[in-house]
Amino acid sequence: MISLFIDTSMANVSISVVKDNKILSLIEKDIPNMHSAYATKYVKDALDTANIDANDVDNIMVVNGPGSFTGVRIGVTIAKTYGYLIKKDITPISSLKSLAISSNYNDMVMSIIPANKSSYYVGIYDKDYNVIYDECFMKKEDILVLCDKYNPYIVGLDQSIIGKYKINKQNLDILKIVNYYMDKEKVNSHKIVPNYLKLPQALEGKND
Amino acid sequence: MYILAIESSCDETSMSIIKDGIEEICTVTNTQIDIHKKFGGVVPEVASRSHIENVTIVLDELLERSGFTIDMIDAIGVTYGPGLIGSLMIGLQCAKTISLVTGKPLIPVHHIAGHIYANNLEKRLEFPLIALVVSGGHTDLVYMKEDYSFKRIGSTLDDAVGEAYDKVAKVCGLEYPGGPKVDKLAKLGKDTYDLPYPLDDDSYNFSFSGIKSAVVNLVHNEEQRGNKIRVNDMCTSFQNRVVNVITKKTIRALKEYNCNNLVLAGGVAANSYLREELTKACKDNNINFSYPRMAYCTDNGAMIGAAAYYAYKKGIMADLTLNAVAVETLYNE
Repeated sequence: MISLFIDTSMANVSISVVKDNKILSLIEKDIPNMHSAYATKYVKDALDTANIDANDVDNIMVVNGPGSFTGVRIGVTIAKTYGYLIKKDITPISSLKSLAISSNYNDMVMSIIPANKSSYYVGIYDKDYNVIYDECFMKKEDILVLCDKYNPYIVGLDQSIIGKYKINKQNLDILKIVNYYMDKEKVNSHKIVPNYLKLPQALEGKND
Repeated sequence: MYILAIESSCDETSMSIIKDGIEEICTVTNTQIDIHKKFGGVVPEVASRSHIENVTIVLDELLERSGFTIDMIDAIGVTYGPGLIGSLMIGLQCAKTISLVTGKPLIPVHHIAGHIYANNLEKRLEFPLIALVVSGGHTDLVYMKEDYSFKRIGSTLDDAVGEAYDKVAKVCGLEYPGGPKVDKLAKLGKDTYDLPYPLDDDSYNFSFSGIKSAVVNLVHNEEQRGNKIRVNDMCTSFQNRVVNVITKKTIRALKEYNCNNLVLAGGVAANSYLREELTKACKDNNINFSYPRMAYCTDNGAMIGAAAYYAYKKGIMADLTLNAVAVETLYNE
């Protein structure tokens, strides 16, 4: 079983080829604003390094958000085109849940990703990564209310603080993520779209 | 040689299969006009979201309708710019992924080269030629001595002609996209408003901000006096001056550059009055005049496939690091 993992939702581009619980190749590059140029090249490099033919991939897994709108669209477009060509459905991966899965904390975890100056994408999971609080776009004040209520272990992309709470930097554990999502729901390549969690500015406040 | 061409620079997701740069096998286009209408213009983020929802559906329909499989394609041509970066990105990632999975060559196509080569789908281009590129983003006079060689001899100093049309339409209360409506209403009106002629000088450059502002001011002044403007007459007065100057400069360029061939390109190539006036002027001056059919005037994959063939013959190819660019010059001289 050969899986291709694609994450372009954040500053890092992460591409990996995983076969039978083993990472054959992993490319992780911090190239903000250059995802568009390099993501497909890294997919090719990862396949070449793993010595896997593009047509032999069984699972295409893509982080479909939330995160940078453009970044997420790059990964999802690659995944859906790839899936369409080799006739495979796509496994969508949540950027927030992938942080929770990567942490080895054995209790409630809150994942948090900055969206803009005062707001974040946030989700809360139990130790089996079931959703306790639905993933959403939220203002800082409201997140602090959640923190007071649940007192979770908080993970994010960088070490920082939110109010009096500490956000622990969490690197992605790609093998763990791929294994977790192995038997999860797949989506037809035509149907998979980014999970933005936020409307375009032009539509905010409109009812239609 | 069969080229699969992808165009997504603005609000159309369009793909085509083109044979040898001249023959359209099949085109499928998903347009977003209805989505953007309520905003009065294209909203980039909304456009990007629509592109990604449709990109593989358009590809699938293209292959199904044409009876082609992806293996029967020889190369992939894609618009890499100029345009809305988030929109370009979707077509570009799709094209690069097809190249990655199939190993077929990737050909980067400049959007304006595509508009010019829309004419090649009507009739093989003859050189040397002058191309008049008129759209919502461009107003250029281009000299081509051979295939895929572009020298700009004049350009707009401010607004593109299509932009001016849309602005005039908006201030006259016409719904987006208003340019074509100005053309339609101009047929019903009289040339009664004393508007300035747009940069009527000896250069090959254009300027439409003056006449646009004149229209805006006139409409506002009349409104303040409680008068209604005569929309049809305003459209006629505006269109007459714009087309007059464009036609005059185009014919002069043809003469100076010793060209017997004129091609019209871009979205405003659909303008009926511009076509009429250029047809007349070319006839008077023994110039071969070609313009694309309506379907090739708006953004489409077919024109990108036509241009891609000649780019490929010139050795223009890209690897998987090809990036989308919002602003990019076509002109190599």
